Amino acid sequence: MDVLINILAMTVPFSVALLLASIGEMFNQRAGVFNLGCEGIMAIGAFVGMLIPFLVGRGGAVPLYYNFVGIILAALLGALLGLFFGLVCVTFRAPQGIAGIGLQMFGVGTAGTLFRHFVGGTQSIPGLPTMPIPALSKIPVLGEIFFSHNIMVYLAFIFVPISCYILFRTPWGLKVRAVGTYPRAADTMGINVNRTRYEALMVGGALAGIAGAYLSICQAKMFSDELIAGRGFIAVALVYFGHWHPVKIMLGALLFSLAQTIQYNVQGLGLSLPYEFFVMLPYLVVIIVLSLTSKNQTMSPASLGKPFNREIRA
Amino acid sequence: MKKLLTILLVVCLTSMLFAGGASESAEKKSSAVKIALIVENTIDDKGWCQSMYDGLVEAKAILGDRMEFDYSEKMKPVDAGSIARQYVADGYDLIVAHGAQYKNMITELAAEYPDVSFAFGTSAEVVGSNVFTYMPESEETGYLSGLIAGLVTKSNVIGLVGPVDGGDSARYNRGFVLGVKDVNPSAKILVAHTGSFSDFVKAGELAATQIKSGADVLTGSSQQAIGALRACAEYDGVMWLGQDLAQLTTAEGQARCIAASSYNYSAVIVGLVENLEKGVKGGVCVPMNFNNDGFVFDYNSALKANLSSDIVSKVDQALAEFKKSADGLADWASVSYDSL
Repeated sequence: MDVLINILAMTVPFSVALLLASIGEMFNQRAGVFNLGCEGIMAIGAFVGMLIPFLVGRGGAVPLYYNFVGIILAALLGALLGLFFGLVCVTFRAPQGIAGIGLQMFGVGTAGTLFRHFVGGTQSIPGLPTMPIPALSKIPVLGEIFFSHNIMVYLAFIFVPISCYILFRTPWGLKVRAVGTYPRAADTMGINVNRTRYEALMVGGALAGIAGAYLSICQAKMFSDELIAGRGFIAVALVYFGHWHPVKIMLGALLFSLAQTIQYNVQGLGLSLPYEFFVMLPYLVVIIVLSLTSKNQTMSPASLGKPFNREIRA
Repeated sequence: MKKLLTILLVVCLTSMLFAGGASESAEKKSSAVKIALIVENTIDDKGWCQSMYDGLVEAKAILGDRMEFDYSEKMKPVDAGSIARQYVADGYDLIVAHGAQYKNMITELAAEYPDVSFAFGTSAEVVGSNVFTYMPESEETGYLSGLIAGLVTKSNVIGLVGPVDGGDSARYNRGFVLGVKDVNPSAKILVAHTGSFSDFVKAGELAATQIKSGADVLTGSSQQAIGALRACAEYDGVMWLGQDLAQLTTAEGQARCIAASSYNYSAVIVGLVENLEKGVKGGVCVPMNFNNDGFVFDYNSALKANLSSDIVSKVDQALAEFKKSADGLADWASVSYDSL
């Protein structure tokens, strides 16, 4: 029983970076733009997020609010990079896949270069401490699994219903879905397709920036060039996995992290199996679930990946 | 006007070619052995790459004008070939590509440039008459860490965060298991690998998972280990044994790292320079062990006082035996992680 509780208690915080980044990517894709540059934005977010508390404390203790300054700055820079991606893909209508890969390289490279310049070698920061919720954290089993983490974990999971509300219950959410499904009809109805796509990209970029900052401030509590290590691409896969719905995406992020935590534990059992098998287990789970649910991919935004030009009738 | 510009451009480019040649021949005149280092991470990663860079710095301090060196960081195997060729063109005598992942590139370049020496490791293979390899017998450093871990654990559960089960990491891990089992046969050792050398987040997650499973002493190798050490610092009473002395200098290392061992690459570099000076261009595998000063071991001075004299004397005894003989731990390869 203890093993199970431990696995579940680790799964929740491990899933947060993927959850935030993939919900951000969902907003992008719901608006018709897929952003493979998520990894690059996360790298910039991770670097900037860590930089503020590091510069203030030089690795030593800093007031907690500096961590939040770092996270906010990561969100702002992420939004700015989303805007830049919009300029390239929405205004200039560049191929989204190639532009995304370019953004990924730009983000990872820039973060690494700036890190060497401003920080130097691998350095750690105190980061955000765990903040058990009074009373709730004392509930047997559930308390440890859900209510004994840092504040960003709670905020990330609270954001899931909020993003559902934004997407399905607000005029802006309706616009986002409209421009991702049938932009010409949306345009006819007076919706500014390009502006809505820009806005969605900024929201997606901000969330990817926060996801990166979560890794450097809350989880690893340090930065390195390879901190993101492909998590941006996993986030993109989770959007397909979750059929562009925040709750399903959350379940996907939790399932991936659960598989990861299980494989960490199972490796320790000393089974006579190559460790590579366990390492690939979480990715295998994603591939299998994607294959099993492939028929539901028709639920994808109809205009995903298609640039919109109101002057040309598609 | 267009013609004039073309002529000017041709003249400029031609003079640049001559200028380059002049500098190359001037460089060739120096008697110092010129060494170029190529690493996949950075020279301050508090792990694998930093240990080789530190070795070069120390070797330079020992050899003085007999050697000079330069380095290139963040070189993936696919990119490293072009920079290695540039070093050859610049007249470097020895090109050290620090990692077994560079084997193919080095083998190819060694055949292409037989007058230049190359080196890579970890590998015990001899791949050419102008290629040196080096092989840390890390089971010795792992064994010392294992002795300490086996004796200081209170929960009797020990964590081992490995990168991949290969090369010197596999040797370190198996030596660690031997060390633990020699002093504490009933200890449970949780062995797991991240599948990466540089995924700090994964190393931290793995360490946290092992701590949640009861581990109160952990170890790990490669540059990602710093992520696992950082995770240890998050939990009260969890200690760490390092595989790089640089880990002792970090804030979390000072608080949690009981002891660490490190590769002393200066001994390797000094040996390679002496070989080159004697005209030996390669074809030699240099083993690294305590016997030939290829390893350095040290305690965290802030935490050593907490260790019992029994632990210190056991480690001292093992260290003395390693220093006395190059035989090391012959049975390290027989260690299996099943039923630990």
